[in-house]
Amino acid sequence: MRALAGPAMLLVIVGGFAISRMTSTEKAPSREFTELELAGADDDHTGSCYSLSTVLIANRAYNNASRTWTKPRDDAWTLLLDAVVQGHGGPVRWFQEFTFEKHAEQVRLVHVKASENLDSGLEHNIDELLEAPKTLQSTPVDRCLAPGATGYLFVPRR
Amino acid sequence: MRFTLFAAMLLVACGPLTGCSRSLSTRDVGEFIDKADDAARKRFAPDICALRGKDFTLHVNFQGHEKRIAPTELEMSRKLFCREAGEFSKLQQYRLERKSIDIRLATDRKTASVKAQYVETMPYYEPGTVPQTPYDFFDWQIVESLDESVVGVEDGELVFLSTRSDASQTLVPKNQITLPWD
Repeated sequence: MRALAGPAMLLVIVGGFAISRMTSTEKAPSREFTELELAGADDDHTGSCYSLSTVLIANRAYNNASRTWTKPRDDAWTLLLDAVVQGHGGPVRWFQEFTFEKHAEQVRLVHVKASENLDSGLEHNIDELLEAPKTLQSTPVDRCLAPGATGYLFVPRR
Repeated sequence: MRFTLFAAMLLVACGPLTGCSRSLSTRDVGEFIDKADDAARKRFAPDICALRGKDFTLHVNFQGHEKRIAPTELEMSRKLFCREAGEFSKLQQYRLERKSIDIRLATDRKTASVKAQYVETMPYYEPGTVPQTPYDFFDWQIVESLDESVVGVEDGELVFLSTRSDASQTLVPKNQITLPWD
């Protein structure tokens, strides 16, 4: 009887871990998702040459906001940036919510929700998101490292 | 030996249940509010945050010093509240005074509602400006608020479950108040 106690305990621990892994929900997108190239705002969804993770890291301005990822459906993730800013009338909530969706080898910004005074247009937000990696000359995705590579609003490094 | 083991297992199993069935007293809640006020005075975000429940929400109605501008209204989740508590720690001069407190226990004594009036005094940094030093302000802001909170037990500890705050701000010239640095 005693000889079985050890393996039984091990079984309980392994089983508990497996159940917790199966029932827990993902809290952020996988690396596979964030390493995809962000599509541009044009009709052809031309690749921007920057991965989603590069774009998010380059936009360090968001550091003052709290970030929450949620998964609205398969192959899509929503990032909520939430903060409180001091206005002349008192503290006001500032938020931006971006929904990104995977399309083949790209990730596209498909929906934006934002505080009243902010623009929630897709084109405007894509251009704004790409501004930081462009200015910082962040590292582009592999396909844009080759000379002559093109991308949406992409300016190759000299 | 077997009995000791059984007793220990029973104790472990009942531990969380005692937390759930904990019956509140006015004294418990009063001490909890004192602790929360002290944490706010120290402006140490982890301590402030630890006193808020997992699903804590803060609803604020704030009348700014310019009375012609309508009050702002905002709702904060625990996550956002804790982030703001971190910002709060940047203040180097701050005073919190509690003017009144009224504690009412729910009939089942599992939760209590607390009404408390506060006056906070701190530097007023003009919105849109980036102060280079903590001295870069011309006025103190005095925020008078009436907070209505619900407190209850979560994981065996008393926490705020929600707070509604009605606050009003006035400005006083810097030279009229002296606050120590801490």
